[in-house]
Amino acid sequence: MDLQNGPPGVAAGKIVDILHGAGADFVASLPDNWIAPLIRRLETDERFTHVAVNREESAVGLCSGAFFTGKTGVALMGASGFLTCIYAITKINYTYQIPMLFVITLRGAPGDGARYHVSNGLYLRSVIDSINMPAVYIEKSEDLPELAKAYKHAGVIGRPYVVCIGRDVLKGVR
Amino acid sequence: MAIDMQDCFSFLAKRRTTELVVTSAGSSSEVWWETTGDLDDTFYLEASMSLSTMFAAGVAKGYPDTRFWAFLGDGAFVMNTGLLFVERAMGLSNMVSIIIANRCYAATEGVDLPIGDQIDFAGIARAAGIANVYSFDSMAALEAGFDEAFFQKGPTTVVLELDKPARHYVSPPFDGPELKYRFGRALEKRFGLSLLP
Repeated sequence: MDLQNGPPGVAAGKIVDILHGAGADFVASLPDNWIAPLIRRLETDERFTHVAVNREESAVGLCSGAFFTGKTGVALMGASGFLTCIYAITKINYTYQIPMLFVITLRGAPGDGARYHVSNGLYLRSVIDSINMPAVYIEKSEDLPELAKAYKHAGVIGRPYVVCIGRDVLKGVR
Repeated sequence: MAIDMQDCFSFLAKRRTTELVVTSAGSSSEVWWETTGDLDDTFYLEASMSLSTMFAAGVAKGYPDTRFWAFLGDGAFVMNTGLLFVERAMGLSNMVSIIIANRCYAATEGVDLPIGDQIDFAGIARAAGIANVYSFDSMAALEAGFDEAFFQKGPTTVVLELDKPARHYVSPPFDGPELKYRFGRALEKRFGLSLLP
């Protein structure tokens, strides 16, 4: 399948347009298979400053700093990477009340055949809940506009927000 | 050889003009605060476990005509040496990353960094492709090399070989939201922007 021009690319285009429409223009990312088309789209979209980071926590640092330039940063990553960020989120975003939006893959959910993501299916939602992080779960493409609401609301509440997007939405099949 | 941290920071504070500063956990925040008493133009990013230069890069990206100094402890640096690749890729011309090389975890009772005396921090930065790398282990060398090291127009890493802090310094007396507003309002005033609610 042509990931950039096929359904995953179309889905990526929708997400990019929604983020732009919400006002986002700074994205830091680290790949997960499901979001590779989205990252490639952002790399070439002149409406965005995109920074590829070495590890997910670095995205937290960058996006938090970008807040002081008037931007609410977007960190794009897999669920596993997000789970490595809990310390950074609580130490930086919570301590200083700095908003940012996490867009992550809903790994480990039904439909994800990767056994090494079982732990994400078991613990991702409960970890998010345990740090009282506002979250939206998008498992149908018609719900993608929730991204814009989450982005804007992060700025209103001065806290990070996470949007977890399911496989079929990112693959453009649902 | 190594430099007394307070002497070093006093020198940097005297040479600072309009630079915005981001400090990291422990001694860099504490000694910088005690040395400068800076209320507005320093963000004391305490306890980020290696993210101070990434944080600073996020700010510096938005103000290309303003110079930034970002302190990072060597304990934090070894947690996240890959940050050098991000700094190189971003290619910021206005930020100096300053590694506090005291070879210990100064924030936690000065426990030694594992094989700390054998780590070549400047060599790591050079190997990562950072174009401008400087290392200073005496006040005389720092005074002589300051202008060249701190005014480069590309990604720069400065390694300061420092003694362990001689005593305990007090933490900057800010809670998180206060610091956000102090730093943010200072930026608003400096750049004529509206950043914060």
